[in-house]
Amino acid sequence: MKKILISGFITGCILFVLSYGSLFLAVRFFPVLFTEYNNPLFNSDDNRDMLFYLHAFIFSFALSWFWDRFKSLFRGRFILRGLEFGLVYALIALLPVMWISFSALDVTIAMVLSWFGYGLMQAIVAGIILAKINP
Amino acid sequence: MWYKPILWICLLLLWPLERARWVIAENSSLSVNGSTNINKFSCEIPAYDQIDTLTLLKVDKQIALTGNIGLKVQSFDCHNSMMTRDLRKTLKEKQYPRLYIRFLSLSEFPELTADPKQITGWVNIELAGASKRFEINYQVSTDDQKVIHLLGSRNINFSDFNLIPPRKLGGMIKTNDQLTVAFHLKMKAI
Repeated sequence: MKKILISGFITGCILFVLSYGSLFLAVRFFPVLFTEYNNPLFNSDDNRDMLFYLHAFIFSFALSWFWDRFKSLFRGRFILRGLEFGLVYALIALLPVMWISFSALDVTIAMVLSWFGYGLMQAIVAGIILAKINP
Repeated sequence: MWYKPILWICLLLLWPLERARWVIAENSSLSVNGSTNINKFSCEIPAYDQIDTLTLLKVDKQIALTGNIGLKVQSFDCHNSMMTRDLRKTLKEKQYPRLYIRFLSLSEFPELTADPKQITGWVNIELAGASKRFEINYQVSTDDQKVIHLLGSRNINFSDFNLIPPRKLGGMIKTNDQLTVAFHLKMKAI
């Protein structure tokens, strides 16, 4: 349990910097991709900012547990194991969620694809870190 | 206090007055321009859905302008359906379906010529249940059809009306507080 929490925390810290850093840079350098977020579907005030920024940690703790439980199924070098882990996560969790999001919410296909790509990258990075620190 | 209206009427009857009444035409419009840290937006109410009149009255050196326009917040069109809905939500459309511009005064009695004349005046803008007085820069002119064009513009802030500019993605996308409100009233003298 301790190992799961420690690896989850380390992964969370790295993902926090990478995820929000890349998001910040994307908003700054590719603003046109974000104009669709001016939509009442997205929260407009600051009462949920903390939850938004905690996402990297929630994601990392969940994946840390998932990794610890099923790591024996992933073989090869740590990069390959992390990559496969990220793809498995994207297939079993991200794809169905993105599918239902696009079908139920007033969002564009480009937006949903960008979420899928963002989640996939996060899962691959998390997988590689977890494969390295908790082999 | 009951005698005040009678005094006013007596004063108006005795005083040398210059007065005018203008009917606001349906094709009058209002636009709101603003920006976020990623783009600019322009939202318009392309047509006025009511018939209202403005009355100008010159008493001594004071020009009183009375009358108001009430615009449906639902009529805003930002040329992007998501942005339109976001603006309506920010302006609390469900609680306050109309925004009002109440005209109060003009700096001078406008000369109606084809050459646009610059004047100023005071209005009260009521938005989302809050009201604030602003000085507006106007441009007044008439065209060949004797239509009076009154163009007014003014920078206002969301915070003037206790509104919070929208922010998304944990504050990574932020709407700037300042907006430019511009209106174009087309009127006929009656």
